Amino acid sequence: MKIALSWLKNYIDLPENIDELAELLTFAGIEVEALTRLEAVPKSVIAAKVVSAERVPKTDHLQLCRVDIGSYDYPEKAEDNTIQVICGAANCHSGMMAVLALPGSKLAEMDIKVAKIRGVVSHGMLCSERELGISENHAGIIELPAQTPIGADINELYELPDAIFELEITPNRSDLLGYKGIARDLAAKLARTLKEPATPELPVATGDLKLGLYNEEPGLCPRYTARIIQGVKIAQSPLWLKLKLIKSGLRPINNVVDITNFVMYETGQPLHAFDFKLLTSREAGAAHPDIVVRKAYPQEEIVALDGKNYILDGDELVIADGKKASAIAGVMGSEYSGITFETRNIVLESATFFPGSVRKTSYKHKISTDSSYRFERHLSAEYADKVSARATELILKLAGGELAGELYDSYPQPEVRKYISVRPARFELLIGYTLSDTEIKDYLQKLDFEYKGKGRHQKGLVESLPALEDKGEAHYYAVPAYRKDISREADVLEELARLSGYDKVPQITLPQQIMDRHAYYAKRKAMQHLVAWGAYETLNYSFSDPKQMQKLGFEPETLPFMKLINPQSQLHSVMRVSLVPQLLDNLAYNLNHGARDIRLFEQGKVYLKTAEGHEEPTKLAAIFCGSRMPGHWQSKPQAIDFYWLKGCFEALLAEYGIATEIRSFQSPYQMDSESFAYYAQDSFVGSIGRIKPAVLAKWDIDSSSLKQEVWLLEAETDILAELSRNKELKFQPLSRFPAVSRDLSFLAPENISFGELKSAILALDSNLIQAIELFDEYRSKQIAEGFRSLSLHFVLQDQEKTLTDEAVEHLMARVQKTLIEKYEIKMR
Amino acid sequence: MQNQLAAMLQDAALKIAACQTANDILNTKANYLGKKSLLNSLYSRMRELEPSERPAFGNLLNEARQKIEALLNERNNAIKEKSWQASSRSLDYTMPGVPGARGGYHPLTIVKREVDEVFLSLGFEIAEGPDIEDEFHNFDALNTPADHPSRNLADTFYLEGGKLLRTQTSTVQIRVMEKHKPPIRIISPGRCYRNDKPDPSHSPVFTQVEALVVDKGISMSDLKDTLQNFAVIMFGSQVKSRIRPHFFPFTEPSAEMDISCMVCGGTGCRVCKQSGWLELGGAGMVDPNVFDAVGIDSELYTGFAFGLGIERIAMLKYNIPDMRILFENDLRMLSQFRGELQ
Repeated sequence: MKIALSWLKNYIDLPENIDELAELLTFAGIEVEALTRLEAVPKSVIAAKVVSAERVPKTDHLQLCRVDIGSYDYPEKAEDNTIQVICGAANCHSGMMAVLALPGSKLAEMDIKVAKIRGVVSHGMLCSERELGISENHAGIIELPAQTPIGADINELYELPDAIFELEITPNRSDLLGYKGIARDLAAKLARTLKEPATPELPVATGDLKLGLYNEEPGLCPRYTARIIQGVKIAQSPLWLKLKLIKSGLRPINNVVDITNFVMYETGQPLHAFDFKLLTSREAGAAHPDIVVRKAYPQEEIVALDGKNYILDGDELVIADGKKASAIAGVMGSEYSGITFETRNIVLESATFFPGSVRKTSYKHKISTDSSYRFERHLSAEYADKVSARATELILKLAGGELAGELYDSYPQPEVRKYISVRPARFELLIGYTLSDTEIKDYLQKLDFEYKGKGRHQKGLVESLPALEDKGEAHYYAVPAYRKDISREADVLEELARLSGYDKVPQITLPQQIMDRHAYYAKRKAMQHLVAWGAYETLNYSFSDPKQMQKLGFEPETLPFMKLINPQSQLHSVMRVSLVPQLLDNLAYNLNHGARDIRLFEQGKVYLKTAEGHEEPTKLAAIFCGSRMPGHWQSKPQAIDFYWLKGCFEALLAEYGIATEIRSFQSPYQMDSESFAYYAQDSFVGSIGRIKPAVLAKWDIDSSSLKQEVWLLEAETDILAELSRNKELKFQPLSRFPAVSRDLSFLAPENISFGELKSAILALDSNLIQAIELFDEYRSKQIAEGFRSLSLHFVLQDQEKTLTDEAVEHLMARVQKTLIEKYEIKMR
Repeated sequence: MQNQLAAMLQDAALKIAACQTANDILNTKANYLGKKSLLNSLYSRMRELEPSERPAFGNLLNEARQKIEALLNERNNAIKEKSWQASSRSLDYTMPGVPGARGGYHPLTIVKREVDEVFLSLGFEIAEGPDIEDEFHNFDALNTPADHPSRNLADTFYLEGGKLLRTQTSTVQIRVMEKHKPPIRIISPGRCYRNDKPDPSHSPVFTQVEALVVDKGISMSDLKDTLQNFAVIMFGSQVKSRIRPHFFPFTEPSAEMDISCMVCGGTGCRVCKQSGWLELGGAGMVDPNVFDAVGIDSELYTGFAFGLGIERIAMLKYNIPDMRILFENDLRMLSQFRGELQ
């Protein structure tokens, strides 16, 4: 629902700061979905009179106007106080009062300058509502009331500056579907007074017209009131009324219809007006027309105010005259009985309809109106007469006429007043802080809950008050009829919490963050990776024997062992400093038990003596031998080798999102030329390499008779966890343009590494080259001595445009040129 | 021209029906709908007709075109369908499929991970601490008297330099309470060490998970709730739990926790030694002296703690008869647990 600050202020004094007010609404539970500020217009935008308007020759819509700006000081003003303005609006005519923006005016969407249009000079612009920023209406220029003085202050006329709040009213709060309801909530929240319009004092009925009212469906229409006002003069509404509707997003139609909309927006209760003359009687020749509240006849047709013909199926409630449906109850009126400028006598309907029925009808016929929206959310029947009186008062004032007869009122089963009991102690239990009895009483009375006294608590709504006693735990309140959402104590507690403020709810237990979640899951990740690459996890004792390290090629005296005072044996005499010896134990054990394809890993602590005491870093080690894949009859087994292990480790590093570089590496237990270390930002993160057969022999593993190489992976789990701690993955936008692929094969000198070639190629155009994949390496007698054949697959893609063949060929030519000139490569 | 059209349609239908390959279809399409086709020439000959006759004849030509296109499509689909059917073959479905290369986790890791997940889902955090500890965190702060037998060399491993190997992960409770004020809800899993010779039910190295909850208003009832919650998630909804009075220096009152035997369902069997119950670990309300040692006001806060042995749970759960099997790392054992952890 759209509400204007200027209108809301009629019912309550509000803080001046608009953002503060928006915050206040949102935290009262009335969420401000959008806030539009209507700025004041400059002083150079004035009320002006169009003295003459003539068609500009050879144009179909431009008019050349002389516009009277009165005493406003403007250099190009003629002696008769007029200036020349071109206007393209169809409704521009001589004699009208319009809004003129003189050159130099800065409006919301444009700056007004002296302009030449089709060769004719225009000193300013006649404005539409959209150009003033007060609505989206751009159908024509504004026509001010004829009596508006020339030069009148537009800001005053249009109540500018102003603000429009778009509110999300939750479906339980039908009482907030009008300005008064919003103001009431704010009054309670701010402890201010709600300024209600004075109760209307209607004149004595003097008219002679009569009406028959038959409510045949009191279940679907709990209350129906109708009032005849005769002799009204239908006209345009005054500017103040039009403006209120416009700012709330409604379209002004005529004074009577505008008043029904105004009162609906003020009170939340929809109204409808019928043209009395067009209503028929049930009995032929009867003296007066009838209004019948009934269900539609099957296949009954009605042309509604939107001009569409609806075929009803009989479930819908309609408001009919003696013969046919003249409104779909609570949803939309009919075209034939609507108010026109010819209407003289009207019937004003103020009624209440059963929410379920309105919702069903609205859904079935796909018509949603301000009216159906409100009835669907359950309105009380208690206010139909008061709302009718308010609208009647305004109609008599703005459209004239006289009342004919009293209010016709069908209200067979008046709503029963209900009471609810609230225990202040429950507030603390549910919300978490205390409100005093007085605070509770103040808030609820501002919401029209009437305090009755104390008594024993009862669940839910009660229709009669129990015996009241001073020492009762619960406070009894009469629930205002319009609060259909209040049926239990918890509903009242919610009201109190909402008004007193959710920000007051204390936060008692703050998150502890004892756990290092990142480190915990980083450790899991390494294990998961190795399991996915086929390895089984082992767990070995934390104890070790210094001789184990000697077997690996270390001098035990140089190692930082933590020694046990009371070991169970020499084998368990120190804390382990490496995971490798036990993995070799596990390997030997499983080889001895007949296993051949073996992949084992352990992730665990090692224990190192330091100057300060000791450290317990978590490390990862994995040992591999045998086939890459478990044997299968369709494929030839292929042994695990350096490139398999490299892929395994680099995939692990990629999972941590860590950029590393590979360097040569020396370790006492691995082959020098087949062992490499990985570094990230100069931190050692791990190594891969082949275990020396001589070391294996110490574990009684004869690698030559086994015909298997044994490969080892070691990683610093703690360092990997730390380096990946603040990595954030960010989605990369996908190129909308197709990728192109190209293959290139060439002979490269043996002394030039693949990596060197790859970086040289990437350096040529790292934007276009998305990937370079090596798909073949080949040596043979046909290839010159000292050369190998390499085959590369290129993926090229441009993020900005489709790659042309020329661009691709140009790039590939540059690649070849670089390779040939820099690396003495021979193309194949 | 109309006769020509009719004859052409008849001819086309026959030729289309005779198509055998996708290529035939393409050729036939070119013959009847292509630039040099009769149909195309008839379009250009329309202007020979009276203007009034042109729309009707134009319609005829369009219909003919659509008819031929429909026939071509239909025939093309039939040819495709035939080739798809021809691609089907019979398989010896009993021959082995390609085995996956995935490895697996150690059963102790599997059980530890499940315990972690249970407690994480119950809102606990996981805290870890060092294996190599000092006497304060392992004994003094846990209210263990200086002459308590558990401090003996025969029970506890000591290291050069005055340190020791922790005998329980309660040490982590102390470390957490030293650093963090309540509320605290943690579990501390990790390796513990006791000077026991390896045998079917003992290991000098074993894995323990301790739980600690400290807050205002924590009672033994919370201990029972947590234990039962854990038992049900870990062992199934039929499992019952109970606590029995016991003694530990760091809890007062202290208890031992039992769960109903999942082998016999509580009626008594060999595994539960006919008692119907299996011992799960120790528990109790945090001793006020422990709170004093870490500077938590024991008047304001209360707490409970309990400890579980991961090896014991694994042995119960998987029916492993000897704890030593768990540390042999035999692939024939490890591979049995390949599918146990998601």
